[in-house]
Amino acid sequence: WLASGSLFPLSCIHTSTSLWQKIGKWEKKNRIVYPPQLPGEPRRPAEIYHCRREIKYSKDKMWYLAKLIKGMSIDQALAQLEFSDKKGAKVIKEVLLEAQEMAVRKHNVEFKSNLHIAESQTGRGRYVKRLRCHGKGMFGMMKISRCHYFVKLVEGPPPPPEPPRTGFDQAKEYVQQLRNRTLVHTL
Amino acid sequence: VLVVVRSPLPRLRALLQRCWGRLERGLWPGVFGGQSPPCGPALAVQGPALVPQGISDTGESSAEVPSLLESVLWMAAPKHRRTIEVNRCRRRNPSKLIEIKRNIDVCPECGNLKQKHVLCGYCYAKVKEETRLIRIEIHKKERGPFNAPTVETVVLYEGEKPTEKDEGKRIIERARKRPSWFVQN
Repeated sequence: WLASGSLFPLSCIHTSTSLWQKIGKWEKKNRIVYPPQLPGEPRRPAEIYHCRREIKYSKDKMWYLAKLIKGMSIDQALAQLEFSDKKGAKVIKEVLLEAQEMAVRKHNVEFKSNLHIAESQTGRGRYVKRLRCHGKGMFGMMKISRCHYFVKLVEGPPPPPEPPRTGFDQAKEYVQQLRNRTLVHTL
Repeated sequence: VLVVVRSPLPRLRALLQRCWGRLERGLWPGVFGGQSPPCGPALAVQGPALVPQGISDTGESSAEVPSLLESVLWMAAPKHRRTIEVNRCRRRNPSKLIEIKRNIDVCPECGNLKQKHVLCGYCYAKVKEETRLIRIEIHKKERGPFNAPTVETVVLYEGEKPTEKDEGKRIIERARKRPSWFVQN
């Protein structure tokens, strides 16, 4: 079984080059290995990158769901997606569950609920142009769009939301800018 | 001069002429995939000045035709291209973002998530499945449409006997243990 252990890292590179010419950058982010931490350093939280390619959905519509989820804990995100009426919600929920599973099995995460969503992005997939026939012999070209969805889970509770910038903060910054003014190239 | 008017609006006509020109010049080889055009757009060559009418009619036609064309030129159309910044402001306006739902709870029976005003999906599916099996038993007993008896029905599970209250009722037997959520009465 020593031979099978050495063959394993090679096989995963060869199997995924059949459909797309290359492994995407997001998938490669899971492969970085940090040097061991020194005893005094704070613990680096685990990061899990996962994505799904060529989802049959529009990237603009998917973006709204990605924006909803950003910064939530994974349980809250799954709850929101379960009761959302959008088609992309089902897909994103599957992606999140897969990522959670990967985190527990491969990335040494202790508690599956202790994850939060640091980044969630959409990307444009391959488009296909098709003819759409209207009445009176007229036609238009429509594009059948697909999208990618990228998510980065980080271990730990979600960060507290930033307090919104009030007028008082803006006024303080303005006064500070005025105070920072000096004369240049003088004594 | 062709007087066939398929597309009276000049903008659509211009688009069609451009598309047709592109097709003829071979810049769109993959459009029909080798077949003849399914709905070939007809060219509308409308020439009001070239219509062969009598000189006496020109006065009436010149009064009618400008009203057809000029009223069409007054249609609302965008003057400038909307920049991506303006588009983003419109698309990412908070009113267009999806709102967080605050009415999600945990079902006390099964532990799945449920909305407050909606039945739990898992429990509903469970009950639906059991009802489907009961209905199969009923169909086996009735053996055909329009055979429903005029008395009530009672469902009995394994190891249960009909009580005095179930005297005149139709009895449906199910070969399994009574589920905890189906209370016997």
